[in-house]
Order: sequence, then structure tokens, then C-alpha cells
Amino acid sequence: MSLKKRRSKTARVLPKVGFDVKMQRKLVVLFLLVLLAFVCLSYRLFKLNRDKGADYKRQVMRQQMSASRAIPFRRGDILDRRGSKLAYSERVYNLVVDAKMTLSDEGEHLEPTMEAISKCFPEVNTIEIRDYINKNPASRYKVFAKHLPYDEIEPFKKMQKNGVPKKGVSKNDSDREMLNGVWFEEDYERKYPGNTLACDLIGFVQGDNTGFFGLEEFYNDILNGTDGREYGFMNEDRIMEDSIKPAVDGYTIVSTIDTNIQSIVEKHVAKFMAAHKDEFRMGAAAENIGVIVMNPNNGEIYAMAGYPVFDLNDPTNMDNIDLTGLIPDTPSENSVIMLESEDGTPSDNVAMRRVDPLTAVKNRIWRNYCISDSYEPGSVMKPFTVAGALDAGKITGNETYQCNGYLEVGGYNIHCHNRLGDGLLTVQQGVAKSCNVVLMNIAFATGKEEWLRYNRIFNFGFKTNIDLAGETNASELTFNESMGLTDLAVSSFGQGFNVTMIQMAAGFSALINGGYYYQPRVVFEIRNSEGAIVEERPPRVYKQVISESTSEKMREYLRSVVMSDPHECTGWSARPAGYTEGGKTGTAEKAPRTKNNYLISFMGYIPAEDPEVLCYVVIDTPNTQVQSESTRLATRLNRDIMTEVLPYLNIFPTEAITEEEAAELMEKENEFYENSSYYGISINMVPEEGEEGGEGAEGAADGEPGAEEILVISEGVTGNTENAVEPEPPKDSAGNPIVNNVIQYDQATGYPLDPATGEVLDPVSLLPLNPENAEEEEYAPEEGE
Amino acid sequence: MSHDRKVRRYMDYSLFFTVIFLLLFGLIMVYSASSYESSLKFDDSAFYLKNQAKATALGFITVLIVSRINYHVFQKPALPIYLMSLFLVFLVLTPLGVTKNGARRWLDVGISVQPAEIAKVGVILLFAACLSKYGKKLSATLPGFIISMIVAGIPAGMVLIITSNLSSAIIIFGIAMVMIFVCSPKTLPFVLLALLAVGAAVLLVYMVMNGIIPEEVSYRMARIRAWLQPEAYASGTGYQTLQSLYSIGSGGIFGKGLGQSTQKLGFVPEAQNDMIFSIICEELGLFGAVAVMVMFIILIWRFVIIANNAPDQFGAFIVTGVMAHISIQVILNIAVVTNTIPNTGITLPFISYGGTSILFLLFEIGLCLSVSRSIEV
Repeated sequence: MSLKKRRSKTARVLPKVGFDVKMQRKLVVLFLLVLLAFVCLSYRLFKLNRDKGADYKRQVMRQQMSASRAIPFRRGDILDRRGSKLAYSERVYNLVVDAKMTLSDEGEHLEPTMEAISKCFPEVNTIEIRDYINKNPASRYKVFAKHLPYDEIEPFKKMQKNGVPKKGVSKNDSDREMLNGVWFEEDYERKYPGNTLACDLIGFVQGDNTGFFGLEEFYNDILNGTDGREYGFMNEDRIMEDSIKPAVDGYTIVSTIDTNIQSIVEKHVAKFMAAHKDEFRMGAAAENIGVIVMNPNNGEIYAMAGYPVFDLNDPTNMDNIDLTGLIPDTPSENSVIMLESEDGTPSDNVAMRRVDPLTAVKNRIWRNYCISDSYEPGSVMKPFTVAGALDAGKITGNETYQCNGYLEVGGYNIHCHNRLGDGLLTVQQGVAKSCNVVLMNIAFATGKEEWLRYNRIFNFGFKTNIDLAGETNASELTFNESMGLTDLAVSSFGQGFNVTMIQMAAGFSALINGGYYYQPRVVFEIRNSEGAIVEERPPRVYKQVISESTSEKMREYLRSVVMSDPHECTGWSARPAGYTEGGKTGTAEKAPRTKNNYLISFMGYIPAEDPEVLCYVVIDTPNTQVQSESTRLATRLNRDIMTEVLPYLNIFPTEAITEEEAAELMEKENEFYENSSYYGISINMVPEEGEEGGEGAEGAADGEPGAEEILVISEGVTGNTENAVEPEPPKDSAGNPIVNNVIQYDQATGYPLDPATGEVLDPVSLLPLNPENAEEEEYAPEEGE
Repeated sequence: MSHDRKVRRYMDYSLFFTVIFLLLFGLIMVYSASSYESSLKFDDSAFYLKNQAKATALGFITVLIVSRINYHVFQKPALPIYLMSLFLVFLVLTPLGVTKNGARRWLDVGISVQPAEIAKVGVILLFAACLSKYGKKLSATLPGFIISMIVAGIPAGMVLIITSNLSSAIIIFGIAMVMIFVCSPKTLPFVLLALLAVGAAVLLVYMVMNGIIPEEVSYRMARIRAWLQPEAYASGTGYQTLQSLYSIGSGGIFGKGLGQSTQKLGFVPEAQNDMIFSIICEELGLFGAVAVMVMFIILIWRFVIIANNAPDQFGAFIVTGVMAHISIQVILNIAVVTNTIPNTGITLPFISYGGTSILFLLFEIGLCLSVSRSIEV
């Protein structure tokens, strides 16, 4: 303003004049317009900040993030109890092409780079890469080769570092071409050094570190870590600096599995499957097979095996797997799986699912039979019935029961496996001989409520919570308060309800270890990536299921199943030479009963007095002519496994070994290592093996009547079933049908007499005893329901 | 005489120091905005800073010299200067022309020069000389007005067509318009003209939006679309605008702090150049941005003062032209950065990186200071 005043003075003095008033006003108006524009722009800035500020801040953050790179974590190892690796993750590299970079500097690096790729990675198709670069010149990331080990990428990395000599130019070091636009992304690949070893148990990893089945699935979150990140940022000196937030590697789990025991078990299972393949009918040796070896004193699983095995390193490849009996003969029947509703009728057609038969087979192969499948346990259940009755005080153990070969329950005759009847039996003898009549009587003495209570105490119908993925509890397939008298009768010897192998093994351990029910477990320690222990998983007692004294009594009874005179027991053939063993056999008839299919099993533990190792063998539908007579397959498999496992576990023989046994051991030792078919001998060479002569295929004559009767009971069918179902009535040597309970017994031996000829018969095979080999014939007991 | 001399020593120090402040602030911001890109490109984080500092120093000397020259020495050669600037623009077509960032706008004569900047000075001087002599005839009569339009239109058209530099063309034409407006005793025709221009712009936008003008006709059509929906063109034409908006929006009231911009790390293209104001907003926030605008307002206010007090109309019109130049350029730049108008490459005077721009701006400031020196106290 002061200048304006001065201006008026100047105007007077100077002839030349500046702006007149109008111009000055216009100039001020212009200034006000400019001011207005600035105010508008300021308001716009303010509005931008107010309305979009938060949004744009996020955008800016997001943009910064996209400049970062994930660093993969390493999935933890799975170790066996001795520290050898069952599964581990190996660092590998993915070949990544940055198309934009390859085209930098007018694409002069493209040619040498492609050449170097085809030289170092012959399996990578450079034509494909060129094609991709042409089509996506702006692409920054495309993987062209996955899971390359370091030694494969090393030559390329060297070339990348030093450049490659230019073509056609003398070997001048300064004339080197740079390789551009290729880098290697770190990744990990899961490896299973045992290939097929413990495949069902370990499970496998697919895709982005996701475990399927077994330990890999159950411990997925513990095995997995957290991805790290690499950020690029500017430091104060405007230098691009990498900041690395390292990946947190996953924890390592230490399993209770023993690689050696597991391979012993798998070897014998494989041998068994090979030996009995196509034996009676074309097909696999058994529909299913499962073996659990564990420590009964703390629930630790040593081994768990099924069949067939698959390669964990390539789980989807079924080429090398014996699929005999797994792929349905009539695809149409199985390719459509009908989802059936509770009452057994197919539900809405919407629920019909088309399932690729191979997918179904794969799932069947991947699943762990020992925990995922349920079945009727058969006689292995008997010790549980007895233990419950003893513990509840319903019996003292001093009772005796008269077995006439059957017991009438609810109007039906439920038979013993020995239709001829075993006479007066103590509780111990009832267990040793696996007498259904005795067990039914004990169950009746116990009563429905107590029996159910103990059934639940023994954890049937509940999961054992073993730390493996895919355990089933079969709770829908167990009895409840609505069970009837016949239900109680058959359940006493393990028919009519379902269990899993792990339920049986865990419960049986409690029976013999003093009554302590341990949670079966496969992992005992969790370590971090540095090897420090993060978590210990000590043995966990769920409950005391029976008293110490009951358990002691059970050990005594179960000892007699194996250790009694072969004539007086069912499990003698399970005993490895030099050891005392306790256990229980089982021969369960499968539903539908009309098919005469059986599930045979043996649960054994050693030493009988102070159990240290327990082995449970289940063979579902053995491929033999008369499956009900094949229980010995299970006892023998148990014996072979035990024979090898015991020395390994430093459990020493306590009993004298006979010369015969010594010779057999020698023979076995050779066979174990020659991988020859040991099992084939025992069945197919019956005539040569006098020792086993009495119990071979000839046993088919009968002696296994209980099975058919169960059908009657379970399905509640009346009357005519016996005629309709029973395939062949027992016959004597002359071909006349034997009528139950009219048989005369030889006074001296207690053996039955042939009603036709008056000859003394073998109690099991019902064949005339040959005086010459009578001694051997004695060693021919058979067992079953 | 000695008394006279003392009087003549007056100079507008407010203007002078405001300019110095803006120049130094510009150097700091150029360094902050460019150091990342410059260290990547030239392995020297101060590359842009050094260039800018050289130009600034040269410009400073220019200011000192020009402010001491009597501005009347430019009155007679105004026409030759104008014609020479036209010739220089034309020279861009010859091999002397240099292409940078995909645009042929530079002349390489030892140093690279933007002829458009010279044309601005040429137009200011020519119109100042003509309007001070034949002001009423040129601005108040229709033929005179048409002649003025042609004189302003030639360099504007040449800059637009030869160097396809729309923003410089707008500025050249705008300077002339403002000078004529101030000179003219009439107001209404100019208001009508302004309304007409706004109407034409609205019509153009409407036509582009409705696809009446196909996008292939000119890349500027795509810019208009990107202006209206920057998010829809985020990966293409709208990228620069959108990144600039991200910068502004993420700055907040007081900003992230000087040097703390993350958007300059390769996200905002030309961060030290056309988009430097968005980095100012991000680092110094709304506060810093308004402070910079206040500095420009002070600057422009000083021009008003000097023009209104200039001893003769030639000097007054020179200052008016310079004021028009700087006002238009600042407003356009901030409007572009805030996506208020479609994106057009335009620098922020005194602050953006660019040697020619600084040099000729400071030449203009030197003229203004020279005018201010002629004001007798």
C-alpha cells in the first residue's frame, strides 16, 4: 500500500505513466482469481486426504509389500525312536523366468540365456520358454522347472555369475555375455528315505505342505512353520537394502516307531501275502491284514503295518502296487457308490456319486487299516468279558461250567467251536480252550449293565485318541442298553459289535499291564528346528480299567492260552521258541454270515509273566479253503514277527529250546534272510510235516459249528436257518452225519468215539486217530468260535 | 543525480527472497524425490541435484545481471526475440532436436534447451512492447484483438504441433490473453470467451465419454478418460495420476517427514519433475503443500504490486506477463497432480527439476526485479 502512495507521487513526476486504475483493478481481480484457484486446490487436497487418505495409505502399503518375496519354511522331520529319519524336507530350487528381464537391453541376453538353460537343464523346453516370453513380455515370474537339487543348478549359477564367452569372439574375458532374467526360487521337497516303510503310518504331503493320512496329517500344524519374507527398502544412504524376516521352520516330531521292528513286520506281512496269494481262489492272500506291535506298559507303538504298501515319495503312482482283489472285477458295480441311508435303502439319486474306481482304490491303499477300519473282534474279546466279570466281582474265577457244545439262549442253540462239548471247564480252561459256552455263562453272570459298563471302560465305542489321522471309533457299531440276551451272549465272545485294531491293542495292554489304560501314541517328543525339545509326551494313563489282582489273574489265564498243553489250548502255535507268551486267538465270522468269511486274529504278548511287547495280528478273510480253520495263520505270523523282534528288543529267552525248535530256528533264520516263502510250507506240505498233519486243510470236515449259529442269533432269523445255512453237517469217518451230543467218549483219553466204527477220534478233526502217529496228532488243536 | 541513484537502488526484496526460498526448497525436494531413481540410474543419488544446482546457480547469476540491466533494452528487440523463439521452436524439427521421454521438445546446442520456454519469454516481451504502445487498439477493437490472437496463436500452435506440448501452448496463449485482458478497458468479452472455453472443454469431455470421439484420434482422449476414472486405467494412462493421488492421500496433515516418501521409490514416475508436488504432499503433508502455495501467492502478490507501481506500461506489462506465466503454470501443475484436470506434462515453477525452465524463469524474475528497481521511491 505504501508503494501505491509512492506511485501517485511518481505519476506526477514522470511523463511516462504505468497502469491506469482500470488496469490495476483488473490485475487485482486476476490476483483474486489466482487466490480463488489456490483455495480450490487446497480444498481438493484436503478432500483427498479426508476421503481417500486411509484407502490410499493402504494402497501404498500394499504396493510396498508386493515388492517383497516369501521365504519358504522347512517342514519338520519325522524321526523314528532311534533318531533315523522317516521323513524330511530337502531344499530344492524352482527355475523362475523373469520375461521382462530377459528382454532387457533390447533382448541381447535372451539368446545366451536360453542356450545356457538348454545346456544345464536338458529337461527344460526352451522353445516353451521363448514362446512364453514372446506372449508375455511383461511377466516377471513364471516357474519352468520345479524341485531341482542344488548340484543341478550349480553350473548354471556359476555361468550366471561369470557370464559366458561370446560366440565367435576370441576368448577374451571382458567379452562375456551376461545371463539375465533367470533366478532360482527356494523350495522344499518332502522325502521319505524308507520309501514304502510305514507308509500308512507316516502319511504323505501333497501340494503346499499339506499332510494327508497318518502323522503327516495329524501333526500337520506342528510340522509346518511360518513363511519368512524378504523386503527391499531404502536405507538412509538411498541404497536398496534387503531386510529378511527369516522363515520359522517347522518342528520335528520323534516317533515311537522303530524302523527295524517296522521293517520286520512289513517283511513278514509281505511274505504272508505272497505265500497265500491265489491259494484257494484267485486273488490276494487276504482282504485286509493289519499288525500292531506295541509296548503294553506305556502305549508306545513300535510298528503298525498293513498291505499293500505304497511309495510315499510317489503316493499317487499305483503302478508297482499289487492291486489284486482291490480293483473290482465288475467295474459297473463299484464305480457308482450308492450312499445308503440308515435303513439300507439307497437315498435320493442326488446322493449317488460317481467315484473313479482308481480313486477309491487309492484311498483304500492310503488308509491305515489298524486305526481306520472296524470289524467284529471274535474271541480276542473273551479276556475282556472275563476281566470285567472278575473285576466286578460277578465271578471269582473258581467257577466251573459244563460245556455240552452249545448253550440254548432265547430259543436258539449257540454253539461252541467244539460241537462235541468240552465237558466241565474252569474259567481258565474256558479261556484257554476258547469255549463260547463258558464265556456266555460268564456274560450272563455279569449281566447286561455291568458288561456294557466294562465295555465302555475298556474304551470300545470311543476313540483311543492315538495321534494319527483317520481313527474311527465305530461307536455306531457297538451295543447299548437296548441289547438283548442273545446280543449279550454273542458279545461275550466278540461277535455282533465292531472294534478297531488299536482299540483292541490298547485295551488288551491294560488287561495285562496291571489294569492301566494308556493312550496309544506314536510320537513321544517334539523338537524345534535346532533340535531342542519343545514338548515331551510322556506315557498318559487314561484310567485304571481293572484292578492289579484282576490283571494278574488275566495274565495267568492268557498264559494258559499259549503255554498249556497244545491239546488244552488254542494259541500254542504262536509261541516263539524259548519264550513264554500269553495271548488270545480269534476267529470271527464276518457279516453276512452266509458267505462263510472269517476274520482271524491273534493278540500275543511276551514274556507271559511280565509283558514287554505286544503283537496283534489281524487277517481279514484269508485266502484259504476253510477260513475258520486258518487261525493258525495269525498265530504263526505272530510267532515269526516275535521271533525276530524279541532279540532286537533285548528280551532274552527264558525257556529251554528243544532240538526240534533249534533246527526250526536255524531254518527260519535262513529263510528270513533269503526272503523265501516260509508260510507256504506249513499249509501246502502237510503230508511231509507230520507235526502239523492233524490241522491242515483236512480240518475242513467241521468242528467249527459256532459260526453258522451266530448268524441265526444276530439276524434274529428263526427255525429253518440251521438247515439252510449249515453247509455240511459233521460226518464221521464212515460218512454218516454226527449228531451232537450222542457221541460216546473214550474213557481213557476222553476223546470222542466214532459212532459208526467205535474208533477213537481226534477231538478237533474228528478223524480216526492213527495209533502210529498218535503222538503227533495230539499237537493238532484248533480253535474258533 | 546522486540523489536519483540512491532512489534507483530500490529493489523488491520480498520478491527476491521469496524466489530464493522457492529455489532452495526446490533443490531439497528435487534431491529427496530423485535420489532413489538417480542412484539406480546413475549410481549417484545426487545426479539430479547437481544438475539442478548448476542451473540454479546459473539462473541466480542471470537474475543478478538482468535485474541490473534497464529492462527497456528489451523493448526494441522484442519482435526479433519473438521471431527468434519461433525459429528455435522450428529448429526442433531439424537434427538439432532431441527426443527425451518419448517427446521431441529439446534443442541440443551444447546444453539442451526447451524452445517453448524461450517462446514464453518472447511472447511476454512482444506483448509488453506492443500493448504499451498500441494498447487500446490491440485490446479494445476486434481487428486488433484478432491480430493479437494470431500473434499469440502462432507460437502456441507451433509449440503444440511441433513439440506436441499442450501445456506450454496453453501457457503461451494464456499469457497473451491475460496481458490483453489487463490492457483492455472491456471485461465482458473476456468473460464470454472464458465461458466459451469452459463450454468447449465440457463438450469435449462429454464427447470423449460417450465415444463420439474415438480414442485412437489422440492420446489425449485416453488421458481424459483416465482423468475421469484413474482406477480403471491404473496400469496404463492413469498410472501416474493414481500414484500421485496415493502419495497425496497417504501424506496426511503433516506428512511422513522430509525424505520419508515411499511413493518416490519407483512408484511415482517423474517424481522430481512434473509430480514433485505429490511428493511434497506425501513428505510434508497438507501443511507443507499449503505453505508452498502461500509462497507462490506472496510471489504473485509481489508481481501485482510491482506491475501496479511500474513507472511505465512496458515494465508493468512485463510483470503482468510473468505473473500470468507463473500463476497459470503453478495452478495447472497442482491441478494435474491432484487430478483436478486431465494429465498434461507441466512442471512446478522453481521447484521441479529442469534446467531450461529454471533459467528462463529466473530471467523473467530478473526482468521483474529490474522493473521494481525502476520504481522511484
